[in-house]
Amino acid sequence: MPPMAPPETATALPPPQPSEGPDFVQLLTPEGERVTHAQYSLDITDEEIRDLYRDLVLVRRIDSEATALQRQGELGLWANLLGQEAAQVGAGRALTDRDFAFPTYREHGVAYCKGVDPVTLMGLFRGTSQGGWDPQANGFGLYTIVIGSQTLHATGYAMGLQRDGGDGAAMAFFGDGASSQGDVNEAFVWASVFNAPVVFFCQNNQWAISEPLERQTRIPLYQRAQGFGFPGVRVDGNDVLAVLAVARAALARAREGSGPTLVEAYTYRMGAHTTSDDPTRYRVAADLEIWKLKDPIERVKAYLSRTGAGDAAFFASVEAAADEVAAHLRAGTLALADPDPISIFDHVYAGGSTLLDEEREQMSAYLASFADARH
Amino acid sequence: MPSFRDFALPDLGEGLTEGEILAWFVKPGDEVTLNQPIVEVETAKAAVEIPSPHAGVVSALHCAVGDTVDVGTPIITFDVDPGGAAAPAVDLTTSEASIRGGDLVPSEPGITGSPAPKAGSEEKIQILVGSGVKASKLTRRARVSAEPKPPAESNGEPARRPARVSAAGVGAHAERLADVHALAKPPVRKLARDLGVDLQVIGGTGPDGTVTRSDVQAAAAGGAAGVRRVAPAPDFDPATREQRVPIKGVRKLTAEAMVASAFTAPHVTDFITVDVTPMMELVTRLREHPDFAGVKVSPLLLVARALILAVEHFPMVNSAWDDDAQEIVVKGYVNLGIAAATPRGLIVPNIKDAARLSLPELAREMQTLTEVARAGHTAPADMARGTITITNVGVFGVDSGTPILNPGETAILCLGVVRDTPWVHEGQIAIRKVTQLALSFDHRIVDGQLGSEFLADLAGMLADPWRLVNWRSQ
Amino acid sequence: MATITLGKAINEGLRKAMEDDPKVVIMGEDVGRLGGVFRVTDALQKDFGEDRVIDTPLAESGIIGTAIGLAIRGFRPVCEIQFDGFVFPAFDQIVSQVAHMHYRSAGNVKVPITIRIPYGGGIGAVEHHSESPESYFTHTPGLKVVTCSNPADAYSMIRQSIACDDPVIFFEPKRRYWDKAEVDLTAELSPLWKARVAREGSLATVITYGPSVRTCLEAAAAAETEGQDIEVIDLRALSPIDWDTVFASVSKTGHVVVVAEAPVFGSLAGEIAARISERCFYSLEAPVLRVGGYSTPYPTSRVEEDYLPDLDRILDAVDRSLAF
Repeated sequence: MPPMAPPETATALPPPQPSEGPDFVQLLTPEGERVTHAQYSLDITDEEIRDLYRDLVLVRRIDSEATALQRQGELGLWANLLGQEAAQVGAGRALTDRDFAFPTYREHGVAYCKGVDPVTLMGLFRGTSQGGWDPQANGFGLYTIVIGSQTLHATGYAMGLQRDGGDGAAMAFFGDGASSQGDVNEAFVWASVFNAPVVFFCQNNQWAISEPLERQTRIPLYQRAQGFGFPGVRVDGNDVLAVLAVARAALARAREGSGPTLVEAYTYRMGAHTTSDDPTRYRVAADLEIWKLKDPIERVKAYLSRTGAGDAAFFASVEAAADEVAAHLRAGTLALADPDPISIFDHVYAGGSTLLDEEREQMSAYLASFADARH
Repeated sequence: MPSFRDFALPDLGEGLTEGEILAWFVKPGDEVTLNQPIVEVETAKAAVEIPSPHAGVVSALHCAVGDTVDVGTPIITFDVDPGGAAAPAVDLTTSEASIRGGDLVPSEPGITGSPAPKAGSEEKIQILVGSGVKASKLTRRARVSAEPKPPAESNGEPARRPARVSAAGVGAHAERLADVHALAKPPVRKLARDLGVDLQVIGGTGPDGTVTRSDVQAAAAGGAAGVRRVAPAPDFDPATREQRVPIKGVRKLTAEAMVASAFTAPHVTDFITVDVTPMMELVTRLREHPDFAGVKVSPLLLVARALILAVEHFPMVNSAWDDDAQEIVVKGYVNLGIAAATPRGLIVPNIKDAARLSLPELAREMQTLTEVARAGHTAPADMARGTITITNVGVFGVDSGTPILNPGETAILCLGVVRDTPWVHEGQIAIRKVTQLALSFDHRIVDGQLGSEFLADLAGMLADPWRLVNWRSQ
Repeated sequence: MATITLGKAINEGLRKAMEDDPKVVIMGEDVGRLGGVFRVTDALQKDFGEDRVIDTPLAESGIIGTAIGLAIRGFRPVCEIQFDGFVFPAFDQIVSQVAHMHYRSAGNVKVPITIRIPYGGGIGAVEHHSESPESYFTHTPGLKVVTCSNPADAYSMIRQSIACDDPVIFFEPKRRYWDKAEVDLTAELSPLWKARVAREGSLATVITYGPSVRTCLEAAAAAETEGQDIEVIDLRALSPIDWDTVFASVSKTGHVVVVAEAPVFGSLAGEIAARISERCFYSLEAPVLRVGGYSTPYPTSRVEEDYLPDLDRILDAVDRSLAF
């Protein structure tokens, strides 16, 4: 990396680090050409690449359908992942049944790969639940809205694996903004001093709502790891093959007892932070144009088309599958009913509480006291 | 069969209450697919495309470009089953409806290109996370009326709301307490204490058997016409045929004071029977006098006057035994106590400095004292610092008694009933109005001679009431 | 039966919990090799090993956050926050994550974490070592909060808190760590969620917990020589509270004083007073009075005894209550 010149004034920062360079792992160019990398390689069949393509398309379609549902008033909020499909599918497909993912609130692609029905995620965004799924069912933790908290949970989980002989690893997902949080840095400390089997998977999508990367770090994020004493690697987050290779390697390291790795998936948040955000207030369309040329799905499609590994029938079948998953998502979301008001008292404690029992009775009687009470 | 679905402007997650229509991408009659962009709505300086929630045919648009529409208002109607017979469409389109073709940006909804904010558009508050602020409630939801609303109580107590669950715990708990405590709110308890009323023996008429303010006031008044007796009827235990009444409150305090008085000061009672026929005539004449208009005149007034004059003659009777200082305090003023028997027990309010009052003033003071006591408003200060007391058993038709000294005093006069009695008058038997006076006194201070002389002097004034008449006429 | 200190009683309780359940792990700063700055975890690492008694990095948020991960993996972590005033870096993990996880997951994720926190003043310490932050946690739905006042309860309550499937904040009265009493380590454990009538009386009820219990008992003993018969209730559980025991006492005496070290304004004592007023209205001869810290940061050690509720302040409040 070229050394950075000190800024002349406090606010005059150099531009963000360029994405090219020897520390940027890439196995598939934006134009869809396979390339090699000195350290990372991927043994993969055409069929597997077709599967990855299908994953990418379906994940994008889930995301766009959910966005539409929000615009139609069926969800209160949606966190878009447009542009980050390859980062999530690459990591998601590297995870095995033995591994446990700790997401933020945008990892719908990882959820998909872990076998979570996309409708399961919708309650949180619709306002009918706060998550509610069983993390053990798919090895996929609940969405955590406080930024960075889950990196400590992942680290603790990894410490548990060390103690009970589990042979998997934990993967903590977080963004460039989260890397500033104390909890994330504490997680790096813990993971390193305990040599915990955890992979820190950072999707650097360049934005934390409206704040650009240079407000979170002065050096490339993957280099942070060195300060804590474990390896960091930057990968082209829009290259599903590279992400898969790097994530697999990092998970293997963790599982074999070599400790944590920081993977920085360098990508771009093509959409807004959430459906309530207006990115036109803080970034220019020209940036989007640059990144459109690096679209994660287009490059795989180009590869499949050029090599003949994917034909028209295949692409049509993928579109059909996308339509199906979108319809399934729509139907499932519309069917999510408002919870019964009295259910707010459920699940506060595993062991119950006398105070809650009393309050539940009071609310019950209060609700029943209205002439139009539903019975 | 056509199947129509309205689509209302949704809350787009920005605390939106309304939106402005910037552009329609469809018009009635157009076929639309699910998620096809149908309209562009302005929110907070950015345009938001809304994708079609249905597949079908647009049957009507309900607002035009430039209209500001409230969230929740239908903006478009679709026929989602256009194969059926056509139904008339409500046509509100304007000629300004524009249709935009392919955008510069990918067709994923939610991705907007460069916005074209309307000039002069208002700044709207963005809420970053959630479905925004809900409209507030402006009216109350109707309740089920489980019991008829109690009428507002006429004595000023606020109408009580029907018991709800949150108060049910109170009610049940209150019932458990009823046999331990009288149930009364703190202000009522304070009133009871001030009036010397024992809460325990009052039957509470409030909800859950609580004692109300009016219950206390009624109990304190006692004795007067129409006031109900509040002491409970005997409630004998069928097994023992006995009732146990707890010794508490005013009764306990009064008993203690009485005991202290009775067994500290040696009581001697002297009696005299006196012909008060002239005094009764004076009473009648005073009643007719203009200076006594509107004020009650009774034998008690003249007895009080006589007592005050007798005290002037024999001041030692108006004193107190100060054991701590080993002194007898002779009072130079008369705070005249009039014993009032109430169902609560004896209270003795006194008229301060009664010796300085003219007869009409004394009459007024006595009347006020009686009325206040009857209403239960006697203040503690009115019951303190008495120097001498009259107790009137005559109102009960009783001849006489041996009254116990009011603690802190040296003498108490007991006035009996005025009765027509055969009497020797000017050497002949005649029917005269005769009454008995009894004076109990503290024998440590008042010896037999003093006591007798005092009583005889007092009685003499009643027998010959001209000795009482010395007020200044107006 | 053994006469042991409160600190040692907790140590025994931790040991028993570790023996009974191999999933119990102890973690915190200096808990392992040193045995804890108050020696409460003394000798445990030696006997159970470094994997189960973990000396953590100096990072409170990390202690609680990783404990959550361990809990998700099936362990039963017992975390130590070294001093009350240092719980705040972990506050977010406690209230946003520990307290919410069972609810957020609709009951799928259990968080059987115990968080031990020495608290309270009266030890002549510097800033941040004498706080009473229990009200922040009793105010957080999803947490349970308990505090012991004596060695027997310390032993019994730490074992039950660890066994509880819900997160428990376990407040240890640090100035009572060296109080001694006879503890029967084989006795049946008294129910965790019940208050204790520490002293029977009929004139007034003093409701208290933690370090103030001993102070209140001493005050009651002094009052007895003046003919005042005071009942002292040791709450033990601060959330949820055993209201039945409280209300029974209030009904009996009609006079209530709540005593705790925490600043009175906005404290748990206020909730207790309000609830008693609501439920025991007709029993009250006087308003519920509260004795506690003033609305200042905890003062410097040379004047802390004037800040803390002591025998005179407690009895003064009883007198004021009786004077109504």
